[in-house]
Amino acid sequence: MAAEVLRMIPTKESVELDDRQLVEQIRQGDDGAFETLVRRKTSKVYGLCYRVIGNSEDAKDISQLVFLKLWENLEKYDATYAFDTWLYRMVTNVAIDFMRSKQSRDNAVNSNLRLVKTSVDPEQTVTVARKEVESVFNAVSNVLSPKQKTIFVMSEMEDLRSSEIAKVLGCRESTVRNHLFNARKLMQTQLKKRFPEYARLWEESR
Amino acid sequence: MMTCHYFRTNLQPGNADAAMLEHLRRCDACLDFAMSVDPDLFFRSLGGEELVPPGGIDAFVGDVMSQVRVHDAEASLAPRHAVSAWQRWAIAATVAAGVTGATLAYRYEHPASQPVHIIATARPRATATATKSFVETYSSHDATIVEMPSDGSDTKVVMIFDDKLPADL
Repeated sequence: MAAEVLRMIPTKESVELDDRQLVEQIRQGDDGAFETLVRRKTSKVYGLCYRVIGNSEDAKDISQLVFLKLWENLEKYDATYAFDTWLYRMVTNVAIDFMRSKQSRDNAVNSNLRLVKTSVDPEQTVTVARKEVESVFNAVSNVLSPKQKTIFVMSEMEDLRSSEIAKVLGCRESTVRNHLFNARKLMQTQLKKRFPEYARLWEESR
Repeated sequence: MMTCHYFRTNLQPGNADAAMLEHLRRCDACLDFAMSVDPDLFFRSLGGEELVPPGGIDAFVGDVMSQVRVHDAEASLAPRHAVSAWQRWAIAATVAAGVTGATLAYRYEHPASQPVHIIATARPRATATATKSFVETYSSHDATIVEMPSDGSDTKVVMIFDDKLPADL
């Protein structure tokens, strides 16, 4: 009987607490719960930071800053809202601030990439490699404002819907769609200008 | 797991669902084809993968937790009840009012303590006694005493001429 009862009590390993439950445990002083939360959200936070910032070391620093802010502000989290929306809002705020302060320095990286890529013959057949796509993205996305880029990344790479992005940024859905439309247009213009070999793909298919 | 054949057969422009995107993001062989069908998939192919910070997740989590501990240690060393600006103003106003009140109370309890007034009244009195000495009787063999006649009143004017008398008498 006692053994059966023991079997019914969930052990720590068998129970996967959801985000809200983890937050509740952290509020009660459980540092281990915070470590679990950080481990669970690291890829998500770092991934978004990396896509928006375009530099792994800066993205790592910004991600750590996000988690530190998360720790400081956890009392303010309202559990009636999705935890990921709240977390994304924190990430985008910190990343956009960082991008705004660092935008001028990124121009140097940008020009280096352009020199490498423009050496490709526009007429040659292009076989696209994923690493190249990443380089092209880092180069052409610098024409976007930090907010446009963040929206573009959340929509195209994180697959968030416009309504979800609007919740994260605290703006209207129409504003998000507007930013997205402008971002795509600017990216295509830049692609044609700086990477004509890839821009041909658009022209051929349309 | 979606096959490349299924992906290439079913991919439509502007209609990439989650499963299609998952295949696109994992399969390099289908990347070229996908872009020829829908160029907007060019950058969408980047998403989806689990990115790991430099040094790995364990090191990253360790760094975050150390920063949290440092932050907590700093917070515990900081004053527990930080005084806000308006509280500082209130404290300053209270101290100022207290000092003013104490000064007024002291002055009320010690009204004689006005040194300027004492000097002003004391000085003429001292001067009068020192320079205008009063002589009731006078006796000398060398002096010439002249009594001025008056008009029947009690007042008498007496003039004394004596070389031994002080000049200011």
